[in-house]
Amino acid sequence: MAQIFPKWTNEAPRRILIGTIIILNAAVFGVWYFFSPEFTQVGYAPEQPVPFSHQLHAGQLGMDCQYCHTQVAESKHANIPATQTCMNCHNQIQTDSENLQPVRDSWENDEPIEWVRVHMLPDYAYFNHSAHVNVGVGCESCHGRIDRMEVVYQAEPLSMGWCLDCHREPEKHVRPVDEVTTMGYEVENQIEMGLELVAKQNINAPTYCQACHY
Amino acid sequence: MSKTYEYVPEPALVKGNHDFSSINSLITDINLRPTPKGWYIAFGLSNLLLFVLLFSIGYLIWEGTGIWGLNQPVGWGWAIINFVWWVGIGHAGTLISAILFLFRQDWRTAINRFAEAMTIFAVMCAGIFPAIHVGRIWVIYWVFPVPNSMAMWPNFNSPLLWDVFAVSTYFTVSLLFWYVGLVPDFATLRDRIKSKMGKMIYGVAALGWRGSNRHWWNYEKAYMILAGLATPLVLSVHTIVSFDFAVSIIPGWHTTIFPPYFVAGAVFSGFAMVLTLMIICRKIYKLEDIMTVDHIEKMNLIILVTGSMVGFAYLMEFFIAWYGQVEYEKAIFILRATGPYAWAYWIMITCNVLSPQFFWSKKLRRNVAFTFFISIVVNIGMWFERFVITVTSLSTDYLPSSWGYFSPTIWDVLTYVGTFGLFFTFFLLFLRFMPMVAVAEIKGAMPQADPHNYDPETGDYSPQEIEIPEPNKESV
Amino acid sequence: MSDQKTNDTTYWKSLNELAKNKEYKKYAEREFPEDASELTDQVSRRSFLRVMGASIALAGFASCRKPVQKIIPYSKQPEDQVIGIPDYYATSMPFLGAVTGLLVENNEGRPSKIEGNTEHPASGGKTNIYHQAAMLGMYDPDRSRSPRNNGEQASYSDFASFASSHFEDVNRNILFISEANSSPTLQRLKESTGEQFPNSRWVTFEPFGDDNRLEGANMAFGQRLRAIPHFDNADVIVSFDDDFMTPSEHANSVENSRRLTAARKVRSTDDSMNRIYMAESGFSITGGFADHRLRLKTSEIEALVFALAGRLAEDVSGLSAFSGYRNDLTGHAWVETLAQELLDNSENSLLSAGQHHKPSVHAAIAAMNSALGNIGNTVTFHDLPHQGNESSITAFADAINQVQAGNYDTVVIIGTNPAFTAPADLRFSDALTNVETKIHLSEYVNETSALCDWHVNRAHFLEAWGDGRSYSGELSIIQPQIQPLFDGVSEIEFLHTILTGDSGSGYDLVQETWDDVFTGDFNNLWEQVLHDGIFAESGFEETNVSLSGNFGDEISPLLETSITDGIEITIKPDPRLFDGRFANNSWLQELPDPMTKITWDNVALMSPATAESLGLPRERSFSSNDVPVVRISAGDETIEIAAWVQPGHADNAITLYAGYGRENIGRVADGVGVNIYPLRTSNAPYYRPADVEATGQTYEVACVQDHHNLEGRDMVRAATLDEYRENPNFSSYESVHGYEVPGIKEAELDGDDNLAEGGPISLFDEKYGPDYQPQWGMSIDLNDCFGCGVCTIACQAENNIPVVGKREVKRRRIMHWIRTDRYYEGDEDNPGVYHQPVPCMHCELAPCEQVCPVAATVHSEDGMNQMTYNRCIGTRYCANNCPFKVRRFNFFNYTKEYLTTGDDPEIIQMAMNPEVTIRFRGVMEKCSYCVQRVNRAKIDSRKETGSRKPADGTVQTACQQACPADAIQFGDLTDRESVVSQTKMNERNYVMLEELNVRPRTSYLAKIHNPNPELT
Repeated sequence: MAQIFPKWTNEAPRRILIGTIIILNAAVFGVWYFFSPEFTQVGYAPEQPVPFSHQLHAGQLGMDCQYCHTQVAESKHANIPATQTCMNCHNQIQTDSENLQPVRDSWENDEPIEWVRVHMLPDYAYFNHSAHVNVGVGCESCHGRIDRMEVVYQAEPLSMGWCLDCHREPEKHVRPVDEVTTMGYEVENQIEMGLELVAKQNINAPTYCQACHY
Repeated sequence: MSKTYEYVPEPALVKGNHDFSSINSLITDINLRPTPKGWYIAFGLSNLLLFVLLFSIGYLIWEGTGIWGLNQPVGWGWAIINFVWWVGIGHAGTLISAILFLFRQDWRTAINRFAEAMTIFAVMCAGIFPAIHVGRIWVIYWVFPVPNSMAMWPNFNSPLLWDVFAVSTYFTVSLLFWYVGLVPDFATLRDRIKSKMGKMIYGVAALGWRGSNRHWWNYEKAYMILAGLATPLVLSVHTIVSFDFAVSIIPGWHTTIFPPYFVAGAVFSGFAMVLTLMIICRKIYKLEDIMTVDHIEKMNLIILVTGSMVGFAYLMEFFIAWYGQVEYEKAIFILRATGPYAWAYWIMITCNVLSPQFFWSKKLRRNVAFTFFISIVVNIGMWFERFVITVTSLSTDYLPSSWGYFSPTIWDVLTYVGTFGLFFTFFLLFLRFMPMVAVAEIKGAMPQADPHNYDPETGDYSPQEIEIPEPNKESV
Repeated sequence: MSDQKTNDTTYWKSLNELAKNKEYKKYAEREFPEDASELTDQVSRRSFLRVMGASIALAGFASCRKPVQKIIPYSKQPEDQVIGIPDYYATSMPFLGAVTGLLVENNEGRPSKIEGNTEHPASGGKTNIYHQAAMLGMYDPDRSRSPRNNGEQASYSDFASFASSHFEDVNRNILFISEANSSPTLQRLKESTGEQFPNSRWVTFEPFGDDNRLEGANMAFGQRLRAIPHFDNADVIVSFDDDFMTPSEHANSVENSRRLTAARKVRSTDDSMNRIYMAESGFSITGGFADHRLRLKTSEIEALVFALAGRLAEDVSGLSAFSGYRNDLTGHAWVETLAQELLDNSENSLLSAGQHHKPSVHAAIAAMNSALGNIGNTVTFHDLPHQGNESSITAFADAINQVQAGNYDTVVIIGTNPAFTAPADLRFSDALTNVETKIHLSEYVNETSALCDWHVNRAHFLEAWGDGRSYSGELSIIQPQIQPLFDGVSEIEFLHTILTGDSGSGYDLVQETWDDVFTGDFNNLWEQVLHDGIFAESGFEETNVSLSGNFGDEISPLLETSITDGIEITIKPDPRLFDGRFANNSWLQELPDPMTKITWDNVALMSPATAESLGLPRERSFSSNDVPVVRISAGDETIEIAAWVQPGHADNAITLYAGYGRENIGRVADGVGVNIYPLRTSNAPYYRPADVEATGQTYEVACVQDHHNLEGRDMVRAATLDEYRENPNFSSYESVHGYEVPGIKEAELDGDDNLAEGGPISLFDEKYGPDYQPQWGMSIDLNDCFGCGVCTIACQAENNIPVVGKREVKRRRIMHWIRTDRYYEGDEDNPGVYHQPVPCMHCELAPCEQVCPVAATVHSEDGMNQMTYNRCIGTRYCANNCPFKVRRFNFFNYTKEYLTTGDDPEIIQMAMNPEVTIRFRGVMEKCSYCVQRVNRAKIDSRKETGSRKPADGTVQTACQQACPADAIQFGDLTDRESVVSQTKMNERNYVMLEELNVRPRTSYLAKIHNPNPELT
């Protein structure tokens, strides 16, 4: 009886089997990485109505974060400053700069500036700034080197897993409270110091659902 | 000295004066013949139902589970009932092929292929429900333990999670088992079919089977191993399904008797469904020689046994409820028999416990038409068993203030009816394109296959006297 | 407020995009929109008012992976405001001519939750359902949005200019019809209307006011005086049909309930209790709370009062008017018993009668109170500065007849809605046709507005300046929490416009009034009153009263009682909608009636026997929502209404609740229930004989509880005071069942480390959270709970619980996180009743947690059973496995339907609590012990003290805070001194279903009755 299939097909079933296994694993890994905020979210840098440069203000001029984000230590929100905060300086400085036109308009017409949100947590995730900055979680730890950002972008994934990394091992990240707004803060004995701080401030970062989701 | 015993042969499994080649054509010609009109009609109807299923699922996902009759306190309704029912039906196949195979019950060969097919399609129907009954199907993959950016694992305590694994494993193994058995028959089809296309397709399916000794050796081993694997699964899968209820604390669910009782019930309904389908097919495809009345009788006996086991379980539940003296347990069982759902309870009792008792009479259990009728009654009864378990327990549990009545909506009904569309669509495809009886195996079960029966002088098959040594008294 | 403005703009932007969308149009029209696109999964707490009082611009329907979100800061930020931390302002709610002090939570200038004002006597920090629901009332998008001139939209300045020209002619014959109002400012303006328009007349109209009470006092003491009960001073309270704990029946229900329950609290076996007798026709919550209850027709109760007076006349002086008086009920067992009780407790007893009883009844009550020496102790009488000397009922009737006769050319209706609520025989609507100019001020374009040339949209009390007096007279200021959403005006601004022709500011008007009130530095005092919400020491003077000489002659002709044989109907204001003014408030519509547990309907309440006599079943079918319909005809009016069997209702009597059956008011109110008002006449406004027959039709009623008795189960445990004193542990599992909880002995043998907790042996991990965490727990005292349901509404307001509508309630899918189970016990014709609030029990070994496949519900370190919505996939397994059935499932996208129906959804969205996630379709939800409050407190205490354990009392759950009976306690169980720990140590403490060993954190205190041995 004539052969229906050429010889190579003898190998086919085995190859197909191995192939599927590899593809399946690749798929799982692919979803795990490429669909995660670490890949999709980090680097989001929308254009803002006013080309405000943190590099200039926080970096070169060395202004403290809390000069503008005044309520970060008392409230759950690190408030975006009101126009009047900008005008404190800019009614003297750069009074005719093109870039600042929207700010002046806002001030004159009492119309708010519509900034574009960069760091977006889902609505079901509750985050409280004051709870963190008061125990020595640096701005930098979540927002990155703001002082080097011409345009602010999202530096960290802000995914649940990423939050838990720190909540499970705070000693790797905490710093003295007065260093919270420092950029590029580093000590070689971080773990050692971290453990001390954790003990001193009795930091027990919660890891149960309701700490953030309700 | 030695004593002679009269050897009483089993009635031949294959009736009619068949030899191997006539068996080949009897079975495979069904696939090789041009498609009969009737098949197209049946297929059209099933497709219609299949569309009903797809539409109701689509509507469900669009609107939400609210389109069903579910409420507080009855959070599980027809979806779970249908799931358990279909899974139960999905039991017969593997039981017949695996367990009966290990017990060397050759009569299984006539029906195993067919029963396995039914199993696989039934499990497919069952599998739909746990998936669609959830509120947010788009995140259902969270039940699988895959790495994710939430750093979350599923809850391995949950019986629902065990279900996921149990049912999927069962499905995979049954599928493999079925396919392995099909390989030699695919080869037969490949060799008998005329069209080039057909040769290609069956050829691929046959995985290059040439019937060589080595092939047969591997085949037997593989089949044996799979049978070994499948056997515990037959028991495990419905045991685990029963955990969905038994592990909870709801009176009427929280019962240790559930695992055996569910398995018995499953076999019960599975055999009934096999009978229903088989009785139709043997008539249409003229397979009375292979699926004989003896087969029907044997299966009826199993139905009688399992049916009585189920009946015993019902009684036991009441006994334990009384014996355990837990007031909520007592109340729920009294309410089942006398409460708002008494009608369902008594339908269940009539169909599952009373109707099989007819099979005590040899006349009735060899009566094809009657068997057909009972087999359908039994399946209705088993559906109601699941209804009674699921709904009554929830509707009247601990706090009287929260008692509430459940009544289904049109969408509950359509979704259920729709699954028959899915089932029969696949089943008809199976009947059309695959040998519905295991050709290779049935041959092995024919008298011709037994060397003892061949008398070289007369050239006919006649029973012979065999020497059997007298049992050794001393050793006893 | 700049941010408020920008909200609108951004929302409008997205809204236009919505409106363009066919889908959206389709579902905006339908009552139960069913297209489930994920639009408002966006609308959740920090979505619609996100950080900094900012809003996000939903990009229309685009639920793309990364919708652009805007942050809109202030341009000029208010000094003292810290964004993200709510502010609280005092105000007060006017109702039935009295105000109750409230404290309103504001998030970024948006009022979001109402609490009671602890400083205010009428509140004492507590509230009733009307106060809680007022928040939704203000954000109701169906409220009138502009003045209307003959139905045409107009502006307020149009009205002002019209007013200035129209009222120039001061000699016009003007009739002012106002609702009961205690505002000094309104009083001042009212007087000036009298001066400015000599031919004007001012009448007050309340369909269910307390005029009979005042008239009764007038009959007895010759003065229209308000009787203020002091339940805490009374040892024996005899109430004749006076349902003083129900908000719809008494303007001061909160204080009444507070004082009454306070006097009944039992902390140990030494405590004594007052004893309450209630004779009534319907089955009220006060009746359910009473120790003895007698069911009589309303007309029989009148007779009973006189009979009792006749009996007392034998033993006490001062009742000569009744001496020798006898009637059919003189021989009644209760007369003798009550007489004895009252005589034994003279000076410490209190009698009262329902406001729907005739003045003569109230007069008799007053006479008895004075004869027994109760006046001055358990009840005091006060003169009301803002009350006229004429009976407002007769005055109103007379005025309308004048109108009928065409004696008025202008009618000004302030707030009230007579076209709907006036007695039918006055034919108010026809009467109005004889008037040239009709002006109506109201929050909705309602039945009356339709008949008027001018409708002026009224501001909600949370939007406008005003003032008022509490029931006992303390002055409060009504302080607006937000700019009027629809530019409405308050009644005082409205009157000011009529007087002067220009639109004045309520603020100035109120200050002008208070200028005379204050003696001393105005600004300090003003600040003080705004802060406290009350002007201390400003209560009514107590009036010394004595029976007027001609009392006997006055009362004797009225003692002829006419007890109707045959069926008698009693018309009462609906416990939830009152006279119909709250009909468009979906929270109230969906709050189950305290006794019947019916939502979204009114029914004809009757006793099983009466139902039987009408050929109706004594019980409702468990498996269907259909109930029979009856036809009720009184006079020449006939209505058809669903009949409902109310065990404990008086025989041959039917209770009907008014306030339903409204049309063209709003999306919620329209077409719900049956209008009862046609059956009311001015001479029989409250009860009258009627013919009743079954129609054979049926009607579907949405009731949330289908089974009404305990089946001998031990969910509710109760004893009499004496039994309690004999066996203080009567409510323990062992005393109830006669054996220990299964598993205890095993635990002992096993040396179970959990033995300390007394928990039975368990297979599960029993470890608690770490030491630095508090362990939260709740206790509910069934001895205090009388079933008002305010906990449910407070919870709904706090936790953004959606309203699901009648269709879904019928399918038993109501979403309330805390429900009140109501069980009848004993003889079905005259049963006792128990109310049991049931929130999530937060079991330590929670069955729901074991079965969730994705770990969406697990235990928190601080001992709560946490429900993580965003992890839930909706298998409903947890709800099935919950023995208490407290879990609620979003079968549809209820919240979206609830928040986006209507033409501008963002308004009702503003009523939501920004701290609580909006739940989307397909997820489970349940009581969270108000975790948002708990976490806020924990974070604050962490910042201040470094400890995660807030001081006891800093966290209050919404239900606890609202409960007027203080039945609910919540706190940290690791603090043995905390109130909740102490309460749980009480021997009456028990948990439901202890044998299941799920170890609920919510426990109950058993109920104690104080029956009269004579009657038992």
